[in-house]
Amino acid sequence: MPRRPADRPPAAAALGRPAGRLRRAVRWGGTHLLSAAVGIAVVDVGLVLVFGAITPGHAFLQLSNFTDLGLDASEIVLLSCGSAFLLGARELDISLGANVILSSVVGGRLMVALGGPTADVQQGIYPHLTVAVLVGVLGALATGLAFGLVNGLIVTRLRVTSFITTLGTLGIGMGLSYVLTNGSNIAYIPSQLQTDFGTATVAGWIPVPALTVVLIVAVLWFLLNRTRFGLRTIAIGSSRETARRAGLPIERHLLALFGMVGGFAGLCGVIDLSRFATTDLSGHQTDALTAIAGAVIGGTTLYGGGVAVWGAVFGALLAVILDVGLVILGLPTFYQLIAVGVILIAAVYLRSGTERRSVWGRLSALTRRPGRSGGNTQAGSEELVGGEVEM
Amino acid sequence: MAEPVIEACRLWKRFGHVEALRGASMAVGRGEIVALVGDNGAGKSTLLKVVCGAMAADGGEVRIAGRRLEPASVITAQRLGVDVVYQDLALAPHLTVAQSIFLGHEVVHGGWRAPLGVLARQRMRRDADDALRVLGIVLPAIDARVQELSGGQQQAVAMARAVKWSRRAILLDEPTAALGTKQTQIVIETLRSAARRGLGVLVISHDMPRMLQVADRIVVLRHGRTVADLHRSEATLQGIVLAMLGEEEARGAAPPS
Repeated sequence: MPRRPADRPPAAAALGRPAGRLRRAVRWGGTHLLSAAVGIAVVDVGLVLVFGAITPGHAFLQLSNFTDLGLDASEIVLLSCGSAFLLGARELDISLGANVILSSVVGGRLMVALGGPTADVQQGIYPHLTVAVLVGVLGALATGLAFGLVNGLIVTRLRVTSFITTLGTLGIGMGLSYVLTNGSNIAYIPSQLQTDFGTATVAGWIPVPALTVVLIVAVLWFLLNRTRFGLRTIAIGSSRETARRAGLPIERHLLALFGMVGGFAGLCGVIDLSRFATTDLSGHQTDALTAIAGAVIGGTTLYGGGVAVWGAVFGALLAVILDVGLVILGLPTFYQLIAVGVILIAAVYLRSGTERRSVWGRLSALTRRPGRSGGNTQAGSEELVGGEVEM
Repeated sequence: MAEPVIEACRLWKRFGHVEALRGASMAVGRGEIVALVGDNGAGKSTLLKVVCGAMAADGGEVRIAGRRLEPASVITAQRLGVDVVYQDLALAPHLTVAQSIFLGHEVVHGGWRAPLGVLARQRMRRDADDALRVLGIVLPAIDARVQELSGGQQQAVAMARAVKWSRRAILLDEPTAALGTKQTQIVIETLRSAARRGLGVLVISHDMPRMLQVADRIVVLRHGRTVADLHRSEATLQGIVLAMLGEEEARGAAPPS
């Protein structure tokens, strides 16, 4: 058993005591069970159950449907988590959809060009399949990263706000995609990319792209809650001036954030190619807004200083569940847009000024209230060294 | 005066046609509390900004522990051991107390976790707790967010942060403005505690009666010049007001000593 340091404060030394554990459990519950992430997760589960109950033959609850749901959700969940990070640092990227398209276009062009002679490729024969896929995937990822870095450079060096910057690059990205394709989607993407990645599953039902995204989300949670990068992201979003005075490399950090989120868009471009074996020029134009809505619904604040990674996951899932459920019911998916819009406004309203006056807010504040134990170290609160970073 | 940690010599600073500093000089010794007082527009904040490197002077020089502050930047001043507690505190509201104290000086685990920047959170909490205890500051919890603390508690955190990382001196701009009596006392005790630890302390404050209690010396600025540099034993409220306003202006304005 590790020895406790002799100079450890008495309050911290009480971490293992039953009272400490109880308080820790209560605080953990207060922070996590009442958090927006869990609230939205409950809504998600409720929706799944409702759709399960009302879809013919309970089609929504079939395993194959969850496979489709996971595949449909993987891109938007990743973009939503990336957006949550940017929002946490008080920035945003509305060019994500254009970035996804441009990345898939570049990747697709590379795969087709390097796959072999045009006549062979058009018959689905790829003499240089490995090289073509490898370079295509790397090309898409690099395009996404570069797109993000350009956004970051404009924001940090030219001091143009991220909204205007990414509004501009949204147009530029879309325009470049159309220029590179003459407005037609790229065909003849190697089908092996589909079978080996896009539509591949683990254990027969877990889609590989979704699994990849879940792993990335777990890494993002760790990055946010356990590393210097996460702490600095929150600090920069919470108070830019404080971060500057503390000597943080703000510009470099923002550049890294924009690059990271751009890289995610690049990965979404790869997922897109691997799922549909073609590009989707008209399919992602509202991705950024959906991603931002998912992040905000999940508890990330628009004003910096608060990121909810798992909240972004559940917030993004909400839109996908609605979409899939409505399709199975044979209803127009336009209702999904309306529902997400209503939920977005309701979620932000409920968390705004009314929060502290509501039962929910009071409960949350009660369980967060620090105890007095003679010292500054709150017994049993190690879970909470994260400010507003949470699930 | 003890061995000087900060020396400001004949500082000049001009903003357009306005001369904020006109040859002001002052010094702060090791373990000494110096109050910088003056009427509005006397140049107090400008002098503090020049001394902490936030602003470059047009003339004169600042020396920290005998070394010239060059280039004039906050980072250079920090490297030379000077930290500032700003009037607006410069704390991020969403961070916890421990995170606020360690921001920019985060402790990361060694080994394979080092390149990933994995925070040594327990160590940071313990060390932050120690930093507060040394100054006699008791907060509700080290994990409380800054936005959950009272004004006095936030001031205490900002000061604990400055004291923890400054090696030679801390500068404070109106640390007790807008604080209640009890909160002000916390701040005053923290100032004394920092000085006892050997740091030079330079405080700008309008609260002259309290500065007379706490400061070892009182430096009075008027129209950008140092017009008085008084040891506590020779300083009176009336004398300071006279020096601040100039004898002619003060004749009708000075309160009874």
